[in-house]
Amino acid sequence: MTIAPHKPRFPVLSLVVAGLLASAPFGTQAADLAAPEGDVLLTVTGAITNTNADNAARFDRKMLEALPAVTIRTSTIWTEGVQTFTGVQLIDLAAAVGTDADELRAMAVNDYAVTIPGEDWVDGGPIIAYLNNGAPMSLRDKGPLWVIYPYDSKPAYQSEVAYSRSIWQLDRIEME
Amino acid sequence: MSLPEDQPRVRTLAARLWTRTTATVLALVFCVGLVGAMALGVLREIDTLSTSNSDNLQWSLAQADVEYMQFRLALELAEENQVTLQDVRRRFDIFYSRLNTLESGEVYRGMRDKSELIQPRQNIREFMDFAVPIIDGSDADLRAGLPEMQARANAIMGDVRDLTLAGLAAFANESDRQRQQVMGTLIRLAAVLAIVLAGLMLLALALWRLNRLASLREAEVERTAGRMRTIVETSLDAMVLSDADGRIREFNSAAQTIFGYSRDEARERDMLELLIVPESREKIMRLARDQFDPDANAPALQAADRTLQVVAMARGGRTFPAEITFDRAEGTDGPVYVAFIRDISRRKAAEEGLTDARDRALAGERAKAEFLAVMSHEMRTPLNGLLGTMQLLRDHQMSEAQSDLLDHMQSSGQLLLGLVNDVLDLAKFEAGKLSVEQKPLSVTRLLDGVVETIAPLAAANATALEWHWEGEAQDAIAGDARRLRQVLLNLLGNAVKFTRGGRVDIEVETLGFRDPQLEFRVIDTGIGIADSDLERIFQDFETLDSSYARQAGGTGLGLGIARRMVGLMGGAIGAESEVGEGSLFWIRIPMIPVAQMPAFEGPDRRTKTPAASRQTTLAPMSILLVEDNEINRFVARQMLTAEGHEVVEANDGMAGVEMANTRAFDMILMDISMPVLDGQAAARRIRAGNGPCVRTPILAVTAHALPEEIAQFRDAGMEYCISKPLDRGELLATLAAARGQAGDAGAQLDVPPELSPSMLDALLDTAHLERFWIDLPESARDALLRRFVEETQKDISWFVGRAADDPGLQARAHRVAGSCAAFGLKALRGHLGQIESALKQGQIVDPALIAALPDLWARSRTALDIWCDEARQTA
Repeated sequence: MTIAPHKPRFPVLSLVVAGLLASAPFGTQAADLAAPEGDVLLTVTGAITNTNADNAARFDRKMLEALPAVTIRTSTIWTEGVQTFTGVQLIDLAAAVGTDADELRAMAVNDYAVTIPGEDWVDGGPIIAYLNNGAPMSLRDKGPLWVIYPYDSKPAYQSEVAYSRSIWQLDRIEME
Repeated sequence: MSLPEDQPRVRTLAARLWTRTTATVLALVFCVGLVGAMALGVLREIDTLSTSNSDNLQWSLAQADVEYMQFRLALELAEENQVTLQDVRRRFDIFYSRLNTLESGEVYRGMRDKSELIQPRQNIREFMDFAVPIIDGSDADLRAGLPEMQARANAIMGDVRDLTLAGLAAFANESDRQRQQVMGTLIRLAAVLAIVLAGLMLLALALWRLNRLASLREAEVERTAGRMRTIVETSLDAMVLSDADGRIREFNSAAQTIFGYSRDEARERDMLELLIVPESREKIMRLARDQFDPDANAPALQAADRTLQVVAMARGGRTFPAEITFDRAEGTDGPVYVAFIRDISRRKAAEEGLTDARDRALAGERAKAEFLAVMSHEMRTPLNGLLGTMQLLRDHQMSEAQSDLLDHMQSSGQLLLGLVNDVLDLAKFEAGKLSVEQKPLSVTRLLDGVVETIAPLAAANATALEWHWEGEAQDAIAGDARRLRQVLLNLLGNAVKFTRGGRVDIEVETLGFRDPQLEFRVIDTGIGIADSDLERIFQDFETLDSSYARQAGGTGLGLGIARRMVGLMGGAIGAESEVGEGSLFWIRIPMIPVAQMPAFEGPDRRTKTPAASRQTTLAPMSILLVEDNEINRFVARQMLTAEGHEVVEANDGMAGVEMANTRAFDMILMDISMPVLDGQAAARRIRAGNGPCVRTPILAVTAHALPEEIAQFRDAGMEYCISKPLDRGELLATLAAARGQAGDAGAQLDVPPELSPSMLDALLDTAHLERFWIDLPESARDALLRRFVEETQKDISWFVGRAADDPGLQARAHRVAGSCAAFGLKALRGHLGQIESALKQGQIVDPALIAALPDLWARSRTALDIWCDEARQTA
């Protein structure tokens, strides 16, 4: 498994820093995130500062791809053989939406929901994958978004807790 | 330090314990390995448990049912237009995704292969194959296909249900199996832990026993050390322990007492410098070097042999003799030397005292022996003078009464001589100096003589006295005539003493065949002896009836001496008696018959008669008489001049030698005990010189002629021996024999000289001859003997007149000595050996040695003949 940042992270940080420096009032911050142009794949709500809709940050594929990308090589219990997953680390997403939340609640299309605590959002931790083996995932293939832990890199990630947090067909996150 | 005695037992116990401990340790190592292996297994198990691969499987499976129901609900609602077709598609996709997960997920692999699921999966797959094109198709087609899809979706309800239920069952089984596996692993772990625990307990037990053993041994060592300390401290010997440099480390109580230094004073001092005088130190150092230096090549000694006698030095410089024994031991820091030092001053003093006492005792013994010799000489000399004079008196005209008186005087004199001899015999016997001869004698002559001696006494008691043979007569035997006569005279004397007007008979009889014995029985019809007294009559100084004994006279020594004499001759003596009837005394001696009777065998009363002596008339000779005693000189001169010989007298040995050097004599009579120069030395000087008498026969005259003395006389050059008192017949006969030999030098070798058969042993190695005799067959033996005699005869003739520096002398002497050794002629061989070794050492050979050869050969040859004759007879 490898974790390879595709892009430097500082643009996002600079965005965040810029946001903080501007010390703009809460309501004006919606302008900080560009509005999605394509289908919205993920909607982040809750305790976030950067929004592009009503108290929500909505992301289309392009926006997600613009965030720092990480590729993980790992096997999973739901698939056969070693897979590569490419996506945004939770920590980077959290930075992108500007949150001070301790945990987040991730929800799937079928309303499956799970809570992922803040301590999981670490560098080298779980990602919101939008590519499996370099290809986008359809709803039938547990796509389009799937929270993937680098299971093979850490025994702690080969636990039922990590498995239960590996939510697929993700479409909503609420920062709490 | 020595090991305690029960050490071997402890050792085997320890060995056993060690073996057991080793086994336990091995078992433990095995168990630890097992535990390790188990731990690995458990870790793997824990790993498996910690890395779940199941997600929330039941939930996932159940969720498949839920998604299916959601999909069907969406289909129904879509037909009633309550939801959009997009919703149907999303629900389908979600259901599809769920099934897809079940179909391809790693965790469901086991479940998928179940046979009962093949059909449901097939049905579901068929439904999917049917549904996907419609779902992916246009809204119109989907709308149109909704009823059928709904129907077919309803149809697979059972299959979806089966799939989820079967999955649940499979996972239930799986988790059961995992639980079992974990349980099994835990049980195995528990078992191994139990074994390990047992092993640990065994090990603990073994360690406990080892510990106990160690403490036992420690206690034993402590006890031994305690004992050793006690031994060291209570030892009477000084024990000093020093280090390798000789500095004292330990100094026991005895050492403190002996040397006078306290322990603290002695410590760290140099042992040798402090305790040993300088002269003895080197001795100790040398032995220490020899024994302990690895480079020394001296033989290693046992500790007990490393004993030295040294002079030790105590405080204040007092020195004393000491015995030191030492050894080296390995100490904790290098070798230590242990020395045992014993003060042996007392032992030395005691040894010296003993030596002194022994020397004094020996000196006393010698003084006694000398006293005896002097007494012998001094008492016999006047007696001899008396007896000799009486014999001379008979040459004069006497009346019958005078002659009778002379007879009585003579018999009394003989009796007195006998008593003196008795006492001296006893003394000699006690001194171990008495020996018996084995020389041919005539029993008839012996008994005739004895009877004649006792006859006057018997006649005085009106008792008849006779002797006779019982059975076949065996006249010639080998024996000691003098001792035998002494015993018989004693027995007869007693018999006659205690018999008045009766008979005394002597019976002689040979007994036995294998070891023939000669028995003499003296039978009287006298007063007899009570049984109770028979035991003690052979004791010394026993006289049965003191008044009677006084009347009969006697020392009471007679039977005691007789018993000793007979014992010495290898015989026995005994008595039987009836009081009032008479007594029988018997003696038995081993009988050694001889064929050849010697010409003379000691004094025979009958040869004393003038007629007998005149039978051996010799041509007048000039004779040198060397004798210090005037009476003896007078008697001898009278006897010799009566025969017409010329007699020249010398008063002592020195005068005799001088006289012999002035002129030639035909014969020399040499007394043995003389002042200034004794007879042996005088004879040697005459023989060794080159005076006119160097080859003149010399006759030794002595009162005490023991066989070994006779041999000494021979060595000194005196070929003949006459015993004192001088008997006229014996003297004349000996003169005749010597004259005959000296008369013609050429014939001398062939005439066997007079030989005292007692000389047999001196001349011959009889043991060797006996082996030779037994080992060889008769014919070979005789031929060998003949050849030996012929060759040696020639060789000896070759030696006669040979110069002392003749070059062939050594080789010839060597060769003849060799053949003499083969035939046991030891005297001749020794003589030749003397010649040979003198030559070998480059010395000049004494001409007397060569001159003595013919005579020695003649005697040896005679001896050999006699021995062979005897051997033939006994065979």
